[in-house]
Amino acid sequence: MATQTQTQDINRAARLDLARLTRHGGQRLRVLLLYALLLAGAAFFLFPLVWMVGTSLKTIEEVGRSQLHLLPAEPQWRNYDKLLNEEAFYRAYANSIFIVTIVLLGTVTSVSLVAFSFSRLEWRGRNVVFALMMSTLMLPYQATLVPQYVMFHELNWLRTFNPITLPGFFAGGAALIFLLRQFMLGIPRELDEAAMIDGANPLQIWWHIIMPLSRPAVATISVFLFVGQWNNLMMPLIYLQKPALYTMPIYVAQKLNLQESPLPWQDMMAASVLFVIPVLVVFLFTQRYFIEGITTTGTKG
Amino acid sequence: MASEARFHNLEWALYTVIFIVISSVLLGALARLFRLSGAEQRKIFWGFTFAGPWIIGFFIFVLGPALASLYYSFTDYQLGQSIEWIGLDNYRALLLGEGRQGRMFNTSMLNSFYYALLGVPLQITAALAMAMLLNNELPGIRAFRTIFYMPVILAGGPAILLAWRYMLASNGGFVNEAMRKLGDLFFVFDYLYRLFIYGTEAFNGFYIGIMRGDPLGPWKYTLPALLAGLLLFALIRGEWSEGKRVLAWRGATIIGIAVAFRLMSKGLMAQPIDPAWIYAGGAAALAGIILLAHERRGLVRLIQVVTALAALAIGALVLDRAGFDVASRESVRYLVPLGLVAAALGFSAVGPWTRRKSAVLWAVVGAFGLIALARHAPGEMGGDRLEVVARYLTFGSTIETKTDLDYLQTAFPEWLMSATWFYGLAVAVLAGIALLGDRWPRARRALSIGAAAFFGLIAAGSFLDGRAYFGAFVDLAEATGKTNYHFAMFHQALSQFPDRTRVPLWMNSELWSKPALILITMWSSGTGMLIFLAALKSVPRALYEAAEVDGANTLQRFFKITLPMISPAMFYNIVIGVIAALQTFEIIYMLQTPLTRDSLSSAAFLLYARTFSELRIGEGAAMSWILVVIILTLTALQFRYSRSWVHYEA
Repeated sequence: MATQTQTQDINRAARLDLARLTRHGGQRLRVLLLYALLLAGAAFFLFPLVWMVGTSLKTIEEVGRSQLHLLPAEPQWRNYDKLLNEEAFYRAYANSIFIVTIVLLGTVTSVSLVAFSFSRLEWRGRNVVFALMMSTLMLPYQATLVPQYVMFHELNWLRTFNPITLPGFFAGGAALIFLLRQFMLGIPRELDEAAMIDGANPLQIWWHIIMPLSRPAVATISVFLFVGQWNNLMMPLIYLQKPALYTMPIYVAQKLNLQESPLPWQDMMAASVLFVIPVLVVFLFTQRYFIEGITTTGTKG
Repeated sequence: MASEARFHNLEWALYTVIFIVISSVLLGALARLFRLSGAEQRKIFWGFTFAGPWIIGFFIFVLGPALASLYYSFTDYQLGQSIEWIGLDNYRALLLGEGRQGRMFNTSMLNSFYYALLGVPLQITAALAMAMLLNNELPGIRAFRTIFYMPVILAGGPAILLAWRYMLASNGGFVNEAMRKLGDLFFVFDYLYRLFIYGTEAFNGFYIGIMRGDPLGPWKYTLPALLAGLLLFALIRGEWSEGKRVLAWRGATIIGIAVAFRLMSKGLMAQPIDPAWIYAGGAAALAGIILLAHERRGLVRLIQVVTALAALAIGALVLDRAGFDVASRESVRYLVPLGLVAAALGFSAVGPWTRRKSAVLWAVVGAFGLIALARHAPGEMGGDRLEVVARYLTFGSTIETKTDLDYLQTAFPEWLMSATWFYGLAVAVLAGIALLGDRWPRARRALSIGAAAFFGLIAAGSFLDGRAYFGAFVDLAEATGKTNYHFAMFHQALSQFPDRTRVPLWMNSELWSKPALILITMWSSGTGMLIFLAALKSVPRALYEAAEVDGANTLQRFFKITLPMISPAMFYNIVIGVIAALQTFEIIYMLQTPLTRDSLSSAAFLLYARTFSELRIGEGAAMSWILVVIILTLTALQFRYSRSWVHYEA
C-alpha cells in the first residue's frame, strides 16, 4: 500500500539523514542527547506497566518489601493459575468479551449504513441531517445520562446487558460516523454508478462495493470501539448492579474494596495484566489506524 | 445467571435490529411522501432508510432524554416517587452552594478550576515537549511514538490506575521510593525535590483555604486590592495613551460586573428586593437614555438592553419564588413595576428621537422617582428593610463562630468590614482615571499613585495580617478540631522547609491528591501529543531555513515560528483539556480515598456518585445541565477569543 512504501521511504531518508548527521561531531552529540531524552521518556511511560507485570509475579512477602525491586526473585506463575481458577474472574472476562462483541457488531454495521447514506447517497435534507449529527458532537454525554437511566429503569432493563449494548445499534457515536463518512467520500463515484446501471440497489452497493473498499476505516472505528468498550467503567457501574453480570473493569475496580491485610497486590496486578493484554495487543497491531483516526477526528476512543 | 443474561441480551438485540429495520424503512417511506417525481422518491427513500438508525437513535437517545432531563431539572423527581415542579430550586441550591449537594458541587467546580489553572497547562507543556522530541527524524522514532502514546490506551481503563494507586502509596510506594533513591544519589536533586514538596504543599494549602471561603481569610481584601493595584500599576507606567483609557474602563467594568453578580446572586436570590428599587432603577436608566440620546446611540442601546435583561431576570426570579402564580399578590407587586419599566423602555427604543418623546420620558422618570421616594419615605423605612439593603450592599458575609464575630465587632462595625467597599473604591478610582485622561495629567497621576500605594498597602497588610490570623487558628483548630483547618495546613506547610523524611502524601492528604491526578494526566497526555505532532509536521521547513539565515537562535525560532504556527492545535488542546477536567471520572473513581474524595471530585464524578447512589433524578438533571452549559460556553468562548491569538494557515 501507498502508506507503507511511504513509511519505508521516510525510514530510508531518516537513516541517510542520521548517517549525514553523525559525520559532524556537534550533530552527533545532539543525536545522542535526543536519544537520551527519548529513552528517559520511554522509561517514564513504561515503568507502570513493567511494575505491574513485575508485581503480578511476586510472592506476597516480596510485595511487602521495597517496591524499588521491579522484578521478583523468581516469577510466581501460580498467581495467574489461581486467578484462572476463580469463577468470578473468568465470568467477568466472558461478560466483557460478550459485550464488546455485540457492541462491535451492532455499532459498526449501523454506523457504516449511516455513513454510507451521508457519503454515497444523494437525497434532499441530507446536509441538514448531517449538520444536526455534527452538532451532537458538541453535546457532552451528561446531558442525556440521567433520563436514559430513568428510561432503562422504566423498561426494567437495569441489571441486564441491554443498556450497554443496545444503544450502539442506533449508530451511536457521531465521531465514528464522521470518520467513516470522510473515508467513503474518497471512493470513486464511478463504482456505484456502474453498479447502479447493472441494476444493483443501494443495499447491494453498500455490501459488495463500499464496505470492502472501506476496510481500513472500518478497522479504525472498530479499534476505537473495542478499546473504549473494553475499558468502559462508568456505564457497567451504573447499569450492571449484579455480580454475575460484572465486566472486567468492574472486577478490577472491585479490588479496591478488599479488606484483607496485607492486601494481595500480586493477585490484583495479575488480574490487571490479564485485563490489559487484549487492549495492548490490539493497540500494538493497529496503532497506525489509531494514530490516523485521532489526527482526523481529534478525539480519543 | 450470566449465560441467561447473555441470552436475554441476544434476544433483545434481535428485537432491536427488527425495530430499527422496520422504523428506518417506515421513515424512508414517510419521507418519500413529500417528493413527487419518481427518481427523487427513490433517492429520498434510500437516503432516509440508511440514515434511519441514527435519526431514530437521535430521537430516542439524544433529543428525548435531553428534553426530559431539562424538565426533570425543574422538579424534585426521585426514582419511584411522584414528580413535583419546584422551579429553580435545584439550580439555586447548586449555584449558591446550599445544602450538602450544593456544597459538594461548588467544591467540584473549584477542583475543576484548579485543573484548568494548573493541570491543563502542565499537561499541554508535557504534550508539546513530547511532540517536539518526536518531531526529529531518527531511526526508530516510530517505536518511541507508540510507547509515548500507549498510556492513553491504558489510562482509559481501571487496571493501570489500580497500579498507580499502589505506586503512589505515600509509605513505600514506588514513586516515593524512587525519588528518595535519586535524592540519596544526587544531593542537588534532593534539594529540588524538597523545594517541590514545599511549594506544592504551600500552594495547595493556600488554594484549599481560600476556596473554602473563610470570611476572615486574607483573600477577601487581598484580591480586590491586588486587582486594583495591578491595574493601577499598569496605568502609571509609561505615557498616557488611548489604550490605557480603554484598559481603565475595562477594569472598572469587569470589577463592577463581578460585584453586581455577587450582589445579584447573594442578595436577590436570597432576599426579595423592594419593588421600589425597580422604579428607581427604571428611572435612572431612562434618565441615562434621555441624556445620551443625542450623542451616544451605542451607549443608549447598551443601557436599553441591559435594563431589559435585568427586568427579565428579576421577573423570572420573582415568578419562580411565587411558584409561577402570576395572579398572586407577590407577583403583581413586582410585575406591575417591571411592566411599566418595560413599556417605557420600549417607548424609548421605538421610532425616531423627538422633543416630545424626550418630554414624555422625563415625565415618566419623574413619576417613577416619586413612587420610589414614596415607598422609602422616612416613616416607612422599617428596620427589616434597612437590613435587607445593608445585606444587599455588602457581601452578606457569613461569619460562623461566635468568637470570630466578637473579634470583628470589637475591631470594626460589620458594614465597614465588607470587601465590597474595596471593589467599589477600585471602580471609582479607575473610572476617575479614565475620565481625567489627558485633560488633567497631574491630577490623574496623583490619583493613580495615591491609589496604587493605598491598595498596595492594603494588599500586603491584609495578607500579612491574614498570615498572623493563621497562627491563631492553628491553636483554634486544635481546640475545636475543625475551624479553619485548611488554613492551618497552609500555615504548617509554610512554617518549615521540609526535612528529608517529609514525603508527598498523595492520596493520604488533600494537599497532594490533586497533584497526583495531574501527574497521571501528564503521564497519559498522548492524545494532545499526537495533535501537536501533526501540527508540527505541517510547519513549512522553509520558514525555519529563512529564520536561520536571518540568524535567529533556537529559542527565537520556537517562539516566533513554531508557537504561532501550531496555535490552532494549542487552542484545540486547551479546549479539550478543560472539558476533560470537568469530565474526569475513572481516575477519581480508582484513586480516591474517603479522605481525598472531595478534593478530587469532578462534576462528572459527583453526578455519578450522588445521582446514581441516591437516585435523586431532579438534582442530577440540574447538575448535568449546569455542566452542559459550562462546557458549551467554554467551547464557544474559546472559539471566540482564539481569533485574537490563533494563527490559522490560509
